[in-house]
Amino acid sequence: MSTLLEAKEVTKTYAKAQRPSLNKVSFSVSESEFIAIMGASGSGKTTLLNVLSTIDTPTSGSITIDGVNIKTLTDTGAADFRRDKLGFIFQEYLLLDSLTIFENIAVPLTLQKLSPKKIESMVQTLADSFGIGQQLKKYPNELSGGQRQRASALRAIVKRPSILFADEPTGALDSSSATDLLNTLKASNEELHTTILMVTHDAYAASFADRILIFKDGRIIRELLKQNDDRRTFYESIAREVARLDTER
Amino acid sequence: MKNLSMALKNLKNNVSFYALYLLSVSFVITVFFAFTSFSMNKVMLAKMSDDGRVESMCKTISVFLMAFVIFYMSYSNRFFLRRRTKELGIYALLGYRKSTILSLLTAENLLTCFGAFIAGILLGGLFHKGIVFGITVLLDLAVDPSEIPFFNLHAILKTARFIFVVVIVLALSNGRFLVRASLMDLVRFEKSAEKTMKFHCFPAVIGFLSVIAGYCLALDIVRGQKSLWFTVSFYPMAMLTAALILFGTVLFIASFLPFAVQTGKKNKRKFYTQTRIITSPGFLYRIRSNARTLIMLTLLSAATLTVSSVMALSLFYPIAAVSRMAPSEIECRIGQESDIAAIRQIISEYALGDDVILRQTDIYKVASTASQLPMEYGIGTSKGDSDNEKILREAGFECISYTDYKALLEAQGRQKILKRLTPLKDNECILVKYQPDADNDETGNVYPLLINKEEIPVTTSAVTLDNPISFANSVGTLIISDNLYRTIAENTVPAVKILSINGKSVADNEALFQALSEYLNASPYLQGSSHRIHEIFSLSSSTFLLIGFLVVLFFIATGSILYFNNVSSIADSKSDYDILRKMGYPDKAIRKIIKRQAAAFFSIPFLFGLTDCIFATLVYKTALMQNLLGNNPALYLPTTAAIMLTLVIYLVYYCMTVHTCCKAVLAK
Repeated sequence: MSTLLEAKEVTKTYAKAQRPSLNKVSFSVSESEFIAIMGASGSGKTTLLNVLSTIDTPTSGSITIDGVNIKTLTDTGAADFRRDKLGFIFQEYLLLDSLTIFENIAVPLTLQKLSPKKIESMVQTLADSFGIGQQLKKYPNELSGGQRQRASALRAIVKRPSILFADEPTGALDSSSATDLLNTLKASNEELHTTILMVTHDAYAASFADRILIFKDGRIIRELLKQNDDRRTFYESIAREVARLDTER
Repeated sequence: MKNLSMALKNLKNNVSFYALYLLSVSFVITVFFAFTSFSMNKVMLAKMSDDGRVESMCKTISVFLMAFVIFYMSYSNRFFLRRRTKELGIYALLGYRKSTILSLLTAENLLTCFGAFIAGILLGGLFHKGIVFGITVLLDLAVDPSEIPFFNLHAILKTARFIFVVVIVLALSNGRFLVRASLMDLVRFEKSAEKTMKFHCFPAVIGFLSVIAGYCLALDIVRGQKSLWFTVSFYPMAMLTAALILFGTVLFIASFLPFAVQTGKKNKRKFYTQTRIITSPGFLYRIRSNARTLIMLTLLSAATLTVSSVMALSLFYPIAAVSRMAPSEIECRIGQESDIAAIRQIISEYALGDDVILRQTDIYKVASTASQLPMEYGIGTSKGDSDNEKILREAGFECISYTDYKALLEAQGRQKILKRLTPLKDNECILVKYQPDADNDETGNVYPLLINKEEIPVTTSAVTLDNPISFANSVGTLIISDNLYRTIAENTVPAVKILSINGKSVADNEALFQALSEYLNASPYLQGSSHRIHEIFSLSSSTFLLIGFLVVLFFIATGSILYFNNVSSIADSKSDYDILRKMGYPDKAIRKIIKRQAAAFFSIPFLFGLTDCIFATLVYKTALMQNLLGNNPALYLPTTAAIMLTLVIYLVYYCMTVHTCCKAVLAK
């Protein structure tokens, strides 16, 4: 599989900060990979996600996504890049309250200037296959947290992004809703070949990924690969790693 | 922590939040103090009128101003309170009693009002000086600036007392809010505003039809005598029209607009665009909680625009009508031949130029035996049908010759009318109308004139509004051929002899007019064009200035409320814009969305106000104003000017709003 994302020596230092939030981070992501980024609070996970997704700029280093060096992008270029290549899922769902679920999912497609017929069919098909086909006419405040997060995930997936960034997507969900959402992401990864980069502090959520990057003090300190393990075994090894991380703190 | 120190800490930590509130309160207090200082400024009031008219007007406006300040501050207070409900909920969760929260809010209001009072006194003093300077220049008053104090102690005390009352009103309003709100309401206030809107076709259609019916009824007035306004009666029709428009406006904004936007979403080709998919649902979402504010702003806007338009028209119309009421610079009746020499002497003393044109016109009164005579034939012959009921005129045509008519028009510099003029045959005449009568074209009518006991018929070849002599001296003027005029002159003596004085050196020469008035013993037949304009200005300007002051204040209030409403709403949705930016919406598209969202809320009160103003002005002009000028396009100038002024004020506020919103949303 070809490399979709490549980060080389990425450093991010905020003004007045004593140490960098990201310290010469290098890694690559292949197409159709599902990667989880783990680490304690303040380890640099969310900073990495912001920098990779063009929301923030690195202090030094280079990031290439789908052959584009994102550091060279202008504000408009970055907006176009996000529109065409990236998808986002946030912990707080961040659906637009004034729009119905259907409209929320359709927004990225309007940016791609697709025909109304195509937009309707794409949204309906995707919503049906991920179990919220009956909720499309409702407003976000009429849905449960799990349904909202699933809608948020579909909004990110619907435009078939090159890479999907998920920032603690299960953070505000109960275990059942979290499992539903993670299954949705996994199905999207396996069936639609969506590349996913998910930041999480939850070992269970991370167990759905193929590879785990563990962060500490702005650096990748370890990498876990699922390989041929089943999810339960992989979860146990992640849990052990998290426990080790806690004792090292 | 004591309430006062907590209030101080709150104010200190939320400077940017309170700055907006402080600014708006300072602004209204500035206006209030400036007006109070003006209404207590005895020097200016005495200079503007000596009959106490301005004082009583100031008192009336002062009541409106106080009501406005209380309304505006209550609105601002409620608006900012709403934005702080979550914070108040936290206080309640921490165990604060409602009375403690209320005293905290009151302490904050007291501090804010005190700050605004200081700013208002300083700025209001300056503003008052500006008003005095403006009026002095405009009315050409001789006022010694040192007589006008910068700070009027009585005005300061009155303002302080009033602010204290306002603080009490705000405390009562906040108390009512806190008593009614449960802890759940406070903590989850934003959520409770997110009720799903239902779109009902019936009230939407009723709203639309009511507004249209109201406008159609208003428009019906142009049908003249056949219209319902005349056949039924003016006041019931006015009440019905106002009620239909008022009721229709409420339903139009609350039901029709959301229904129309919701229906518009079905046009998928238009809806699935990067801007429309955000703005249409956004509009529906906002109108849920803002319909009442929008209705209030629309009515305020309509009232303000109508008042400003009617006011401009009321000032402009008499000035425009001077060309008919007094077509010559100066005009008077001559009692005896010696008067002419005396008048010439006065003119030579007061008008030094050699361009003075004196023209004597002899008017002959002629009766007619026609069964149907024009209204002008008998106007002013009985009490009740004339403006000047004290002097009754004798019925009849007042004839002047074609040559006199031409000479007078030439002396008055009315070249355009002269160019259109065609010579009269001996059996033809031109009838000068007092006011236009579109329903009854009198061209071609034949009037047999009784001259020396003989009937000589004349046919009306034209009717005109271009009277050469003022209505004080001639009504029912009939312009006849020179031959016929000579025939009349040979047999009778003139009823009236008129001297018309024109020329640049008599124009705007008030000293000459006063000298002539003195010579003619303040004769009501002495008419002067420039003098009349001066008179209108001095009689009306103070009224218009004060009403204008109130109108500008209402405009600023509407603009400020729209500004705060939009800025707050868009700032509250900042997270939504962040999502859009993350999705790949370029800043340009975000700006476009903000512009459209603000434009929708600015355009509703403006367009509704504009339409209401146009129809109300139409009714006012048609039914309540004397029509001397016909359908003169110049009459639309004051309304256009009032609309343009409103448009400029709205545009300034709109640009400020968009700028602030974009700055808040697009800040990195």
